[in-house]
Amino acid sequence: MTTVTTDMPDTTETSPAAAREANERRRALMLLSPGLLWMILFMVLPMLMVIYVSFWTQTTFAVNDTLTTASWERFLSSATYLGAIGTTLRIWAIVLVATLVVGYPVALFIGLFVKNQTVQTALLVACVIPFWTSFLIRVIAWRPMLGTEGAINTILMNLGLINEPLTFLLFSEFSVLVGMTQIYCVFMVGPITFMISRIDESTIEAARDLGASFGTIFRRIVLPLSMPGVIVGAIFVSVMVLGEFATAASLSGRKVNLLGNIIVSQVGSLKWAFAAVAGVVLTIIITAVITLALRVVDLRKEM
Amino acid sequence: MLNLSGVTRRYGETVALEDLNLIVPDDTYMSLLGASGAGKTTLLRLIAGFEEPNAGQISLNGERLDGKAPHRRDIGFVFQNFALFPHLTVQENVEFGLKYRETGACADPKELTERAADALQLVGLDGFGHRGVGEISGGQKQRVALARTLVTEPRIVLLDEPLGALDANLRNRMCDELRAIRERLRVSFLHVTGSETEALTMGDTVAVLSDGRIVQADGSTELFTRPHNPAAARHLNAWNLLEGTAWAGALDTSAGMLPLSRPLAEGAAAQIALRFDQLGVSDLDAVPGGRSHFTARYVTGEFNGPTALSFFRAPDGALIQVVDHLGDPRLPELTEGRSYALHYAPGDALLFEGAST
Amino acid sequence: MNTNLLKPGLAAYTGLFLLFLYGPLIVLAILSFQGPNGGPQFPVQEWSTYWYQHLFGATDTSRVSQLPVGESLLRSLVLAFMTTVVSTVLGVMSAEAFRVRFKGSGPAFYLIILGMMVPGVLVGLGMALLSNFIGVSRAWWGTAFVLHVVYTYPFAFLVMLAIFNRFDRTVEEASLSLGVSPAQTFRRVTFPIIFPGVLSAMLFSFTLSYDEFSRTLFTIGRELTLPLSIYGTFSVEIYPNLFAFGVLTTVFSFTLLVVYGLLMKRFTAVKSGSYKGQEEAA
Repeated sequence: MTTVTTDMPDTTETSPAAAREANERRRALMLLSPGLLWMILFMVLPMLMVIYVSFWTQTTFAVNDTLTTASWERFLSSATYLGAIGTTLRIWAIVLVATLVVGYPVALFIGLFVKNQTVQTALLVACVIPFWTSFLIRVIAWRPMLGTEGAINTILMNLGLINEPLTFLLFSEFSVLVGMTQIYCVFMVGPITFMISRIDESTIEAARDLGASFGTIFRRIVLPLSMPGVIVGAIFVSVMVLGEFATAASLSGRKVNLLGNIIVSQVGSLKWAFAAVAGVVLTIIITAVITLALRVVDLRKEM
Repeated sequence: MLNLSGVTRRYGETVALEDLNLIVPDDTYMSLLGASGAGKTTLLRLIAGFEEPNAGQISLNGERLDGKAPHRRDIGFVFQNFALFPHLTVQENVEFGLKYRETGACADPKELTERAADALQLVGLDGFGHRGVGEISGGQKQRVALARTLVTEPRIVLLDEPLGALDANLRNRMCDELRAIRERLRVSFLHVTGSETEALTMGDTVAVLSDGRIVQADGSTELFTRPHNPAAARHLNAWNLLEGTAWAGALDTSAGMLPLSRPLAEGAAAQIALRFDQLGVSDLDAVPGGRSHFTARYVTGEFNGPTALSFFRAPDGALIQVVDHLGDPRLPELTEGRSYALHYAPGDALLFEGAST
Repeated sequence: MNTNLLKPGLAAYTGLFLLFLYGPLIVLAILSFQGPNGGPQFPVQEWSTYWYQHLFGATDTSRVSQLPVGESLLRSLVLAFMTTVVSTVLGVMSAEAFRVRFKGSGPAFYLIILGMMVPGVLVGLGMALLSNFIGVSRAWWGTAFVLHVVYTYPFAFLVMLAIFNRFDRTVEEASLSLGVSPAQTFRRVTFPIIFPGVLSAMLFSFTLSYDEFSRTLFTIGRELTLPLSIYGTFSVEIYPNLFAFGVLTTVFSFTLLVVYGLLMKRFTAVKSGSYKGQEEAA
């Protein structure tokens, strides 16, 4: 047998384990830094720019970087702008509730009542597929549906239920709500279905064996366990609806002005500082909503 | 020769291995026996370089291994879950190391095919090369994993519970084949297992890992008949341990005063180990002459085919097991709940100093 | 409520829901076959493919001007391709980084996810302001492109994160123990195994970028992408040619989905056929 004559590591040397860990951390950081840098340069920096410019001085056709709160004062004292905040919050709240009410039973059916794996997947895919088609086409598709000579009015008139076409269907707040509900309820159905389908079958069987009615099972088991899905869905729907402008622009006939529409029209007339103020307000609202939701659920664990 | 000295591995507050010393000689089949969670896999991963020790050193033939990247260590590793490359065929799996290794890669396609075919033949998988790895059985997967490792001619092969995922029949057959293959290649195998039977069958030497340390490394017969400490004895699943304190030249246990094979200081804690198959049972008043004995209550028996196990309880609750061979029965008819005398030849008892932990 | 009625009730409701999802698209598809003199509404005057021909400029002079899709389509495809490549590479790299634990992984995770959360109109506005501020002119291949990546990279990242969560690390270790370097191990083992995930990440990135317009609106400059050309026609009167375009672009999206499905099938079916035979004889 030979004796191993390698030197003992001296005490100042870090252990191989520490060296390996440091190495792995360095590697992770190197892999991550391009992505993080991209996000900081092209997302964080522009957002900071919005805040900065909201304090610039707005002249008729240009902005300059003399700092002032004039744009803020004008924004906060204008009935139009404050009205836009109100409209945004109202539309958001209604659409949020509508997507939940419309989507939950569907998620319940797919997640709980459809036992066949293939059928379950097929139904889920059927719900998600519209997401793959063009957003603008989905918005514009509501026009021939809701118009005075559209599908719904034509059918109702042929059935003799109405004599005059219903005019409130299109170019109204109604059409915006219907359009947004249709477009965004996929984001509610998906997460909720996911959470419900994860519920252990035997839990429900056991409750049923103990004589619990469906109502009780739903209230005690299904509803609480599906809540993370509802929250995740609500986060998705909220950020999308709050930042909306296209649906309102093309279906409301300029009757609905969301904060997003304000930003678009201000940019159109080169009022950058006002647009920036509206942007900051929108950011504050969205941050508040997400923070609230994240208090309830840890997004990283649910993904 | 693989040499581990003072190897320590910690995960935060938990210590997996502590000041571990082990020598794996050349051209040997060594089994490493340990309970689950004892750090067996950690030990192999440290040797292979998938993890690094917090202290201590690992060397192979005098060359330091720790701190070296795993792909430069020339150490074969056979995984419990086989870890075959799912996107490659059997042939491609075996060729993989030869083809893509950093040093000494084989560029000649003909040689590559030949060497892979040789390796497959060695593990008895002639003509399986074209199959996908999803199309073969568990036993065949283990052979592919072995061939894939052996074809690169590693300096030592580490096997992490290689038979764990196989059924009992196949396990026995693979045991013989592993030994045969190793003897042909004359490379050392370090085979980790939680089963004492597997460890004793496979290993020329068996090392017992307990609480992050090697408590004994010995030839399998020596280890089985002469464990050096209670930890090693416990892992062999063939020894009863009775603890007590030395008093008046004997060990005072809950089962009675047992003679000491060597004098101990008054009041010192110690344990006596008695092998399952070296205990006899008799009625309390019929202990054969020349044998030490103690009293225990018969609990129940278990029939294991060629052997039968009888369970007794010492007064302090310690479980005592006695093995009887059906071909040569030594035990009388036993009644559950009755107390019997358990007797043994004084020379068969092992004495360990120190209290049990 | 009777439980026996609940299931058929919910089934019927789900049917209605699907009708709600698909109804408008079906109506749009029907009206795209409107005759030359018909409008974007019922009734259908006569069945024809006139508006499809109109889309490609294959009709004689018309009262309706042609949709400006030609060049913008090409631009959108190139932009979607660029976005796909960059965001998939970034997504794979970041997800690979998240396989080891490191301090600050929480904030880093949320910073990336923020990219898909923050409204397009906001980050678009910010980018426009920033480019004005530093004097960079806006263009689809510059300011719009970086924002598309901000949007799609989080999706690619999440897909890859899910893939790596299920990834069996021991196959990489097996490769290392065979003497294969980490770089070769990634190329020969890791990448082929995660490839289906990479394909999904690419599909996500491409579709989202191809369809993206709220981030693009303020950052596009003079040369428009396809969604912006379409958006431009919204404010004026719409004609069935827009519907014909809608049908075609939907067909295109579905084709992508089918190609993806076929590729997935090809890559996951290979060599993963399950073992059915008996244990081999001794």
